[in-house]
Amino acid sequence: MAVAAESARPHHTLWGDAFVRLRRNRLAVAGAIIIISLALASIIVPLVSPYEFDEQNLNAILEGPSHAHLLGTDGLGRDVFTRLFYGARTSLAVGIFVQFIVLAIGLPIGALAGYAGGRVDNLLMRFVDVMFAFPDLLLIILIRAILGGSIYMIFLAIGLVAWVNLARLIRGQILSLKQRDFITAARAMGGSGPYITLRHLLPNSLGPVIVLVTFGIPRAIFAEAALSYIGIGIKPPTPSWGTMIQDGYNNIFGAPYLVLFPAIAVGILMLAFTFLGDGLRDALDPRERR
Amino acid sequence: MLKYSIRRLFWIVLVLFVVAFITFSLMHLVPGGPWDREKALAPQVIENLNKKYGLDKPFYEQFGDYLWNLLHGDLGVSYRYQDRGVTEIILEGLPKTATLGGIAFLIAILIGIPLGMAAALKQNSIIDYMSVFFSTLFASIPGFVLGILLILLFSVTLHLLPTGGWGGFDHIIMPAFALAALPAAYIARVTRASMLDVLRQDYIRTARAKGLSERVVLVRHTLRNAMIPVLTVTGPELAYLITGSVIIESVFSIPGIGRLFVQGVQQRDYGLIMGATLFYAFAIALANYVVDVLYGVVDPRIRYE
Amino acid sequence: MLKRFLFVFFALFVTLSLVLSTIGCAEEGAKGPQVLRVNLAGEPLTIDPVKASWADHISVASQCFEGLLGFTKELELKAVVAKQIPTTGNGGISEDGKTYTFKLRSDVTWSDGEKVKAQDFEYSIKRMLSPDTAADYASFYYDIVGAEAYNGGTGTADAVAVDAIDDTTLEVKLVKVRPTFPQVMALWPSWPTREDIVTQYGSQWTEPPHYIGNGPFILTEWVHQDHMTFEANPNYWGKKPKLERIEYKMITDGNVELAAYKNNELDMARVPIGSEKTIMADSELNPQTIRYYDLSTFAFQFNVTKAPFDKKLVRKAIATGIDRVAFIDNVRRGIGKPATSWIPPGMPGHDATLGSEYSFDATKAKDLLSQAGYPNGTGLPAIKFTFADTATNRVIAEFLQGQMKTNLNINISLEPMEPSAFSAYVNAEQHQWAWFGWGADYPDPDNWLPDIFGTGAGNNHTAYANPAFDALCDEAAQELDNTKRLEKYAEAQVMIVDDLPIVPMFFRERFWLVKPSVKGLITTGLDHTCPGDLFYTVVYMESE
Repeated sequence: MAVAAESARPHHTLWGDAFVRLRRNRLAVAGAIIIISLALASIIVPLVSPYEFDEQNLNAILEGPSHAHLLGTDGLGRDVFTRLFYGARTSLAVGIFVQFIVLAIGLPIGALAGYAGGRVDNLLMRFVDVMFAFPDLLLIILIRAILGGSIYMIFLAIGLVAWVNLARLIRGQILSLKQRDFITAARAMGGSGPYITLRHLLPNSLGPVIVLVTFGIPRAIFAEAALSYIGIGIKPPTPSWGTMIQDGYNNIFGAPYLVLFPAIAVGILMLAFTFLGDGLRDALDPRERR
Repeated sequence: MLKYSIRRLFWIVLVLFVVAFITFSLMHLVPGGPWDREKALAPQVIENLNKKYGLDKPFYEQFGDYLWNLLHGDLGVSYRYQDRGVTEIILEGLPKTATLGGIAFLIAILIGIPLGMAAALKQNSIIDYMSVFFSTLFASIPGFVLGILLILLFSVTLHLLPTGGWGGFDHIIMPAFALAALPAAYIARVTRASMLDVLRQDYIRTARAKGLSERVVLVRHTLRNAMIPVLTVTGPELAYLITGSVIIESVFSIPGIGRLFVQGVQQRDYGLIMGATLFYAFAIALANYVVDVLYGVVDPRIRYE
Repeated sequence: MLKRFLFVFFALFVTLSLVLSTIGCAEEGAKGPQVLRVNLAGEPLTIDPVKASWADHISVASQCFEGLLGFTKELELKAVVAKQIPTTGNGGISEDGKTYTFKLRSDVTWSDGEKVKAQDFEYSIKRMLSPDTAADYASFYYDIVGAEAYNGGTGTADAVAVDAIDDTTLEVKLVKVRPTFPQVMALWPSWPTREDIVTQYGSQWTEPPHYIGNGPFILTEWVHQDHMTFEANPNYWGKKPKLERIEYKMITDGNVELAAYKNNELDMARVPIGSEKTIMADSELNPQTIRYYDLSTFAFQFNVTKAPFDKKLVRKAIATGIDRVAFIDNVRRGIGKPATSWIPPGMPGHDATLGSEYSFDATKAKDLLSQAGYPNGTGLPAIKFTFADTATNRVIAEFLQGQMKTNLNINISLEPMEPSAFSAYVNAEQHQWAWFGWGADYPDPDNWLPDIFGTGAGNNHTAYANPAFDALCDEAAQELDNTKRLEKYAEAQVMIVDDLPIVPMFFRERFWLVKPSVKGLITTGLDHTCPGDLFYTVVYMESE
């Protein structure tokens, strides 16, 4: 009997095993390092920089990158390099936290709709249809009028409308997966709904979900910039990558670097999450488990 | 299928009603109204205007009137565009926006899906890395920046295309590409991710082991199963493209309906806000319905109990 | 196999797009010899002269309509449809100064050949005052007997004292003497419109071909949200325009407008704010720039009932603590003029030396603040500066914030708001401190003082209430001697500059690019949207 040999096999959880595999994926690790570095730099750079992020120098307006100003100056002579990293605080926060809200709302709703099917699915999806068409701009203006325009409103305002795509995506995946043999088998073995969803259905649907989340990051960053213009969230002169791009747009003919650098920053962040996300999906792929 | 469709239609109407109610309420709760301008109007004039447009009636009466008119196909008038009918405004701009959106959609799927497939089939190859690069590029450049860059290149430098407006095909190319860039990138990545998921399934391994040609494996097995998430994503993208992008239409001066909602909100043009929102609600509900039907076509195992 | 599949896809796709791009390459508004193309920067919400309010509305209306009076390029009054400007000397103004009689020329025609009659003016002015029309500028005409009551819904049209005595005589009776009334009669809300056409077509009358006017051009085409085309009016009674056609495009994006100019799609373009440096440095574009003052002032507007702005010393401290010169010279590259007084250059009443005590002086500013009871900025309540959300306003707001911090050690918070909410907020006087701009409707201090700073005046959002100022303005409004009148207004302006319900920031200067092929352009401070749009009749194109 090989029982003794089998029970000697070390116990791997899905997620624990995934973490080990993730560590081995070089691109994913690079992505994680970039994200952490950006976060750290957003705190450190403004502290050690010779310039304040809101320090105006009217004698050095719209100057290109130079020794004195590594990434140039903007329309009021402020140092772009300092502002870029100070702005990372807001952009990282918005980009990332909004995804948490999206996942927190969209995942359960989509999973429930997909797994339960029938009336539950219909009701939830019609609710999703309403949310798709929801006049979010109006709600945001109203929120601003009633609750003021603090930064937390931003997360809510953007997150509360962005989750619908995720819900539809998850539901579609689960609708398709739940008919599969391995799910029938799991059910036959006595697995409950939530267990099956968490352990089998979700890990197999991760691919497109991760894409949605990574694309959601620049979307959230630009949404935050648009909201800042109507007075919600960060107020000038606090920068964010999105507002720097929007403000810089007016000077695009004379100072294109004002748009270029924040856009590159957004791209790098998204790239880092893409690598990390791809790595995560590979790591969680049950097919490649040892 | 027919029963399902009829049931869905009923639900779409219900969705529209709910959206109408929410929008109507929010509209009237939001500070500022259609008569708020820099040069303040005399109070009696404002009173008169409110009477003319029925804004002095109680809320439920106003909403009731609106619904009644809606059932007769009357979307009301625009408050700011001096009494032009909302239906007229939408019908005037819709063909242009829909054409542009339709072309952009075609570009997005004609580029996105093959690119995603290629990236999945040749994971970690040059094509894969290129797809990552371009999708990141188009996602981190906002639409207005991409637009002006295209204009700078093709109009100002090369003098090949006009900067905007509506006319022949040379007016559509740039905005269509600018509009299609992000959806194409998104569709490409979702296709890739979905295909990767499917390619790893046991039944693909089985099909290959059975000795089926790569082509059959691809088309008969992989593609169909991979399409579910792609469909989920392209449905709303189509609705979004057909109802127009405020940014692209502003940059390229497309006289369409993309700006209607945002402009309407900014000017507190109640008529326009309702019309634009309901139109979008209908488009998205319809799109999601079509996607759900197509799920059943692509994966016959999917059933809606 | 996949590679082949992909290749076919891409090849098809590229071919398709190439083919499509060459088919139907419609010639974009083929530029004939005498065609002027300018950008209106958006779809006008109305082009009905009596309803017109914003610059783009008026710019359109002024190509197709003309009123009893108008302005010369020196901004003096001139007679247009009227034979002469009414004065007491020629009997146009009665002895008591309250009755105006306009004698019309008999040769003025509408673009469809009909004669312009005094009845057209009577109809149009009464329509403008009608409460149903809700004309923004109706209040400008409240001096006419019965006008305010009618506009407010309590009076009747018949009670409005605008009467066509016969086909060529229009009589207007005023409630009180108003020396600037002729100027108001040169403005667009008093322009004639056709009763039969408006009655027949209702609100659709502004669509071509029903947009019948008596001006030098006819609106022949209006593709909504896209462009408008005007052609020379063959039935124009006056000197025919040299241009055959004018095209008003509707490009809303400033950068795209500049790109269109560079691509020869426009003959004139604004220089986007922020690109001044590049354009000035461009050897090809710099010679094509024009700049001129447009009779407008921009200022920081207080609500003098809200602390700390209820203290005059605080306001004075702030006025002295802003380095306007640095803003104009460095941020705006010299476009515009720092302002320490209210009435802009080019307007009668402009005083270049007024307010010189507010020239930037950080030490003096700090001192004033201390005197006000807030040494070094301590003890001040929270200050919020509100403004409408545009990129240019942001720069100004951030500039102000920087100045307050650096020069006075005051921390203010900035509140962008979307335009509707901002208008509502300021009109309800909920603001503490806001951004404010005013442009001349007609070149007289009458337009700049009582309506903006008078107690309870319609455009007074500063809550400024000064009986001495009101009394002075009332006297000036009735003063028939022009010199004395202007003196009184000058005194009134001094009061404003001393009390500072607003802190002037700068006088705006327009900075545009104009193609060298555009000749004869006459720019004035009263231009509506595009340079020279008051006098397009004398413009002509000459290709190099």
